[in-house]
Amino acid sequence: MSAAAATATRSVAQATRTTRGRVKPVKPLSRDRYGLPIPHVNIVVRDTHLCRLQDHYHNTLRDDLMYMTYKHEPKSRKPPKDSKLTYDPENPYTKHRFNPPKGGNVYFKQLPPVTTSENVVQLERIQLHTMLESAVTSRSNLLTAIMAFRALSGESREAGGRHTAEGVEIVKAKTLGGKGWARRGQPIGVKVDLKGPKMYDFLGCLVDFVLPKLRDFNGIPMEGPSRPLTTPSAATGVVSFGLPPYALQFFPQIEVNQDMYPEHFGMHIHFITNATGAGAQNKARALVSGFQIPFQRA
Amino acid sequence: MFSRASPKVQRLHASVRCLATEASTSASQSPSTPPLPQRRPSPGSSTSNINAAIILNRAPIITRSPTPFERTYHAYQARIRRALHNPFPYDFYFKPGSLLEGKFRDAEREREREAFGRMSSSSGEDDVEDTSADTPSKDSELLDGQQEIKSMPRIHESDKTGNVQELNRQGERNLYLLVHGKDSTGKQVWRFPQGGLKEDEALHQAALRELHAECGKKMDTWIVSKNPVGVYQPSPQDQTHYFFYKAHILSGQVQPDGKNVTDFAWLTKQEIESRVEKPYWLGVKDMLADF
Repeated sequence: MSAAAATATRSVAQATRTTRGRVKPVKPLSRDRYGLPIPHVNIVVRDTHLCRLQDHYHNTLRDDLMYMTYKHEPKSRKPPKDSKLTYDPENPYTKHRFNPPKGGNVYFKQLPPVTTSENVVQLERIQLHTMLESAVTSRSNLLTAIMAFRALSGESREAGGRHTAEGVEIVKAKTLGGKGWARRGQPIGVKVDLKGPKMYDFLGCLVDFVLPKLRDFNGIPMEGPSRPLTTPSAATGVVSFGLPPYALQFFPQIEVNQDMYPEHFGMHIHFITNATGAGAQNKARALVSGFQIPFQRA
Repeated sequence: MFSRASPKVQRLHASVRCLATEASTSASQSPSTPPLPQRRPSPGSSTSNINAAIILNRAPIITRSPTPFERTYHAYQARIRRALHNPFPYDFYFKPGSLLEGKFRDAEREREREAFGRMSSSSGEDDVEDTSADTPSKDSELLDGQQEIKSMPRIHESDKTGNVQELNRQGERNLYLLVHGKDSTGKQVWRFPQGGLKEDEALHQAALRELHAECGKKMDTWIVSKNPVGVYQPSPQDQTHYFFYKAHILSGQVQPDGKNVTDFAWLTKQEIESRVEKPYWLGVKDMLADF
């Protein structure tokens, strides 16, 4: 009995041990080539605080979006049409030939998935992207943009042990520019993907500090209601807009030491959501406007 | 904040309109529409009776307080992050030797001590900083003027006094408007604002009209969707249905009309259970957020 009680108290003591003191490893850890200890496990940094906007999404927005985007479908859907093949499969002359379906898959004409509580539209990531024309003459001009994006996003490559974290990436020119001023493969821009709590922190920053200070910004332009829902852009769950170069100084991360950024540049901001099918962009807009980002009819 | 979304919402629903949720479409637009179910007498003895009710929600106004487990977890993750993060580029953010840098180094040392305990002076990093340890503390004194920031209390006064009509009570929770008034049988009960349908009126229009009739017009509200979020049928014999609509209050306050409604309260889901009758509770509880 007493032994059991002793083990119980010890285990409780072990469980509630204050983590202030230093932990002495039993076996010394092996060291890498820089002399730094290699832990026994892969360490991944998870959330370090509750996120205001993430909570707002889960408390309020998700329910509202489900009610707003709900489409009542009491009958089950018709099965999709058979895709038309390039050759008649019954024809003995073309029987074993490579027989791809005729035309593309026309993803933008697909119906959106049936509304359920599981597939409510959700923000997956925010991408910041900029292209600097001055990088054509000297690639070191990209350094300003790299530093600014690092400060804005707080992301770096494999940050926190997450191997999917790409951090700030350099974008290379894919094709010749319109006037032929960029070569293929030339570093010409910078982009960064934000996910998770950092994404919501950036969004809050944008809405609270930057957008109110822009004088000529009345909202993200939006086309008229007569626009069909089955264009490629309308069926992609992405909302994009651009910030002018002078908006950079309004981010508090940049504001503290503006002198270190000799050049100001504009950027594209893409809100990428999980919405798919016809009318997906409208769902994405409904989501983004729930985070107080205004929209305006063009 | 939600009013910005409303034109688009209407547009979405123009294409996504569904008859099952519409009480009636306007007769002028489609004269050939057959009479809708609720107008037709039901096969039973009583005629069908369709009502609209509103679940008026006050969304949380402050962030949730983390549970002790969450707090411990976050502190642990913050320690890992502090241990693994890239070195801070002091030169990039501060002029060397400036007051702000000293203050930041002081604060950083304090945070480090809080996370890992007092560091032994054997590590090289500390030796370098120890030489300048005295000056920054002066710096931080110099900079610390009277800029004492006081955070607002997380518990409102109405939580202490128990005033359930105050809109700022229970800031972390979802609150719902409950009114004290007559139900369909004429009994005085606690219920959501509700009312019957008029001729040629859609359900969501009836819901808004009844909300204004029972709770006054001195508040800004936004009905989230033209689709009802749930339905409640008091008894299977009676063909009475209550269709519930979700709405948010944006500003203002309820002013009960005094005839149908005598009292109101902003309550959490758990508080609602004790006030309403058991069958009503079973009908509506799944439409409310737990937290």
